[in-house]
Amino acid sequence: MIESVVIFSSLTLILGLILGYAAIRFKIKGNPLVDQIDAILPQTQCGQCDFPGCRPYAEALAKGEAQINQCPPGGQEGVDALAELLDLEVLTLNEEHGETKPDHVVYVDEKLCIGCTLCIQACPVDAFVGASKVMTTVIQDECTGCDLCIPVCPVDCIYVREITPTLSTFVPNIPGEVRV
Amino acid sequence: MSNNTFSGGVVIANPYPVNQVEIVQAPLPSKVVLPLQQRIGAEAKPCVSVGDRVLTGQIIAKTEDQFCVPIHASISGTVTAIDKQIIPHKSGLKSNCISIESDGQDEWIETQGCGHDFLHCDRQTMIDYVQRSGIVGLGGAGFPSHTKLSKATDCHTLIINGTECEPGVMCDDALMQHHPREVVRGVEILLHITGAKKAIIAIEDDKQEAYQSLLMFSHNDRISLVQLPTKYTSGAEKLLIKALLNIEIPSGGFAADKGVLCQNVSSTKAIYDAVIDQRPLVSRIVTITGDALTPINAEVRLGTSFEQVIGLTKVNSQAHDYRMGGMMMGVDVETTQVPICKITNCIFVNNKKPVQATKECIRCNSCNTVCPIGLLPQQLYWHAKGKNIDKCMDYHLLDCIECACCSYVCPSHIDLVSYFSFAKALSKKQETDQHKTDIARERFEFREYRLERNKQERAKMMAEKKQALKEKMAKDKQADSAQKDKIAQAMARVKKTKEDNA
Amino acid sequence: MHSTGLNTNQIMRQVIYALVLGVSASYVFFGWGIIVQILLGVVSALIVESAFVAMRGRSVLASLSDGSAVLTAILLAISIPSIAPWWLVVVGVAFAIIFGKQLYGGLGNNPFNPAMLGYAFLLISYPLQMTTWPVDFLSLSQVVDEVFNLLNFDGISGATRLDDVKTSLSLGSDIATLQVRSISQSWINIGFLVGGIYLLARKIIFWHIPVAVLAGILTVASLISMLDAQQHLPVQNHLILGGTMLGAFFIATDPVSASTTPRGRLIYGFLIGMLIVVIRTYGGYPDGVAFAVLLMNMVVPLIDHYTQPKVFGRS
Repeated sequence: MIESVVIFSSLTLILGLILGYAAIRFKIKGNPLVDQIDAILPQTQCGQCDFPGCRPYAEALAKGEAQINQCPPGGQEGVDALAELLDLEVLTLNEEHGETKPDHVVYVDEKLCIGCTLCIQACPVDAFVGASKVMTTVIQDECTGCDLCIPVCPVDCIYVREITPTLSTFVPNIPGEVRV
Repeated sequence: MSNNTFSGGVVIANPYPVNQVEIVQAPLPSKVVLPLQQRIGAEAKPCVSVGDRVLTGQIIAKTEDQFCVPIHASISGTVTAIDKQIIPHKSGLKSNCISIESDGQDEWIETQGCGHDFLHCDRQTMIDYVQRSGIVGLGGAGFPSHTKLSKATDCHTLIINGTECEPGVMCDDALMQHHPREVVRGVEILLHITGAKKAIIAIEDDKQEAYQSLLMFSHNDRISLVQLPTKYTSGAEKLLIKALLNIEIPSGGFAADKGVLCQNVSSTKAIYDAVIDQRPLVSRIVTITGDALTPINAEVRLGTSFEQVIGLTKVNSQAHDYRMGGMMMGVDVETTQVPICKITNCIFVNNKKPVQATKECIRCNSCNTVCPIGLLPQQLYWHAKGKNIDKCMDYHLLDCIECACCSYVCPSHIDLVSYFSFAKALSKKQETDQHKTDIARERFEFREYRLERNKQERAKMMAEKKQALKEKMAKDKQADSAQKDKIAQAMARVKKTKEDNA
Repeated sequence: MHSTGLNTNQIMRQVIYALVLGVSASYVFFGWGIIVQILLGVVSALIVESAFVAMRGRSVLASLSDGSAVLTAILLAISIPSIAPWWLVVVGVAFAIIFGKQLYGGLGNNPFNPAMLGYAFLLISYPLQMTTWPVDFLSLSQVVDEVFNLLNFDGISGATRLDDVKTSLSLGSDIATLQVRSISQSWINIGFLVGGIYLLARKIIFWHIPVAVLAGILTVASLISMLDAQQHLPVQNHLILGGTMLGAFFIATDPVSASTTPRGRLIYGFLIGMLIVVIRTYGGYPDGVAFAVLLMNMVVPLIDHYTQPKVFGRS
């Protein structure tokens, strides 16, 4: 009887010491969860989630202060990925924050541009090239399709161009799957 | 393996055998459509405009990149359009093409090559002729031949791939039977370019006529003919090298790294034409076969429509399925209004059949037994279906050559290869998307930093200005008070003087 | 383009045909029992499978036509005593199909062998009914009486020979004094062996698993005999008693729950053979095939991960 008490007490003590040591020695610096969430988010920086950028939304998610279904550019796949990462229930994309639009970039109709620079100030990734009273244009490769520039343009000269698949970017269907 | 074979693969009997392998010369087409996007490399830029008259063999488009294989007019006539047309690609997308209307004369441009005395030509000149003639791998891969030749600097063995392992395809067989002299000359040219010590022409043992035909013309003792057991995927470059030389090219590596150069036999003949005459690649031999018609081989001009080519033989009147390439690795095309390209080795025209029902995978492992690369297709299928690309990569998805041996034997009739090409395309898309989001994140963070920096600089500048103003005011004040003192003193002096005078 | 080999439905059907010889041998020695059990099992399998496939919203006809539910039912019906009450096979088959197959997503997705899952469930839940075997030939009317009326079994039932021997050995008898040979068991096993060889010849199963299972049995049984021959069953008897041949050729070879790589199959089969002998000798159950297979099913993902074949171009 006494032997079993001794054995289990010493086992508890030894295992507890090992766990304690491991908790201190292998402690992870910083908050990797925010980085992991940020890696899933599409970096459009559009603010449709009601946060000023993707990183603040990631931080809010890590603290549990936001829902996972607030990001339209990420689409339902983004919601699913966040649900898997954070071990939460999968929700459907919240329509209040906007709808998922197909992949697109914007372009400027240079004939109409008046050089007011409002679009340059609005773009979260600095995809515009221009200056005051100088014609402005979009660097298409850098545009994330966040659409923040469209409402601020006083002459409505910014238009949307959908990205269509090319021979090298084409992704075929799986047999039996219907492309939405 | 010592008996000239490799593990895996399937033995498939030729479904449409012919008694005599002949080549029919197709009549000149009335119109050709030449796609600007070749299989490898960037899209070529046209160097002619609509309305220009072009001669046969004239360069009409070029690319700027390192692969630069020019595109030539395959008939003489007028350029009628440079626009998007349907091309034979599994996506069914349209791509930019140059359309030429024939003037019926087939007037060629003047060209001059090394001539029959090619041994006096130097290596680089020959490679330049190969490039300028637009030669690519005609076995189906379409890799620019001049790039391959430039890379083959330490080559010790040359392999000429005459295996033609896809069942039903016989264009290489026809070439070897009817133009053996040009093929052997082409091999000698390649020996000269690469400096290799020996050349092996590999043929499957079901092509006895071709073997005999080549045997008659190969008097060079550096060239040997080897017969391989007839088995599908014996023509895959890395597997062929393993079967013949027992050298295994590492995954992701090139044959050139191990001193081996492999060229398809049709490419070899095209290289012969390019080096001797600088003849551009404007035609090729295409097999037209299937259960809906009498199989033939035809020499056709590039850009001819499938419809015209199929019309060269007798076709039945049922509904048909069309396929470019072989029955294993080919691509289904929806319409016959697509053009023959440099890599079109075969057109299959089959009667429409009902689609076989697919059942679930029962993990029987028949697929792994026949996979020539030794992959586990059932695992790749499982993870591709679940869109788990990371796990697919763990099972070496990128080593798959999409030969379709696994789909061929699957008892549940699962189209395994379509899952793998989906997974590869998805993996590429995910990589590109990841790259884009990383850059977007960087730009966003830099913008935040820039705005913050601007704010700081403004604040600093404001603070400095304030400070300067304060100092000025203090100085002014001092100057003021100094002035006041002076005035007071002066007034005091004046007062004193006044008082003194009074 | 597709090969003209057998498709999945045809494969399942061939396995069912290959069982005919062993079932016939069982009929010759023990009568109509096995036929009745098989019929009961097949009917319940079809009903349960249809119900669940319909609930899942899939095509019932496609699912039933592949014959996998019927095969599960037949294997389970062969494994249980042929005079078991009618509800035993019905409950067992229902459990096997629902918990061993449909809940995982149907054919191809189950990690455990459904027939053996059903058998294990029955053995643990109804040990008496599962260990009462017929000792003689029974006519159809006798069987129907037993199976549907639950009359007492004395006089026509008892333990299997394997069970008998094991009990006697554990009570201290010497192996030399026991009558270990059983003609009925030998013929039944030979029947299944011939069926198994037929499947091998038609390339419906690959040689790796059966050969490895038998090798495992022989190896471990020989080791045990070498250590203590008197107290244990001789090696050759392991092969002809119990469900050895059925297990080696029909149960362990279920492709969905077995290891899928060639080397993996050898390891899987060998360990099953080993476990069968160990459970028979040292365990509390008379025959170890079901538990050996189920235990190894659990280890299959690990085996598959570490026995991936060599890929061309990678060292």
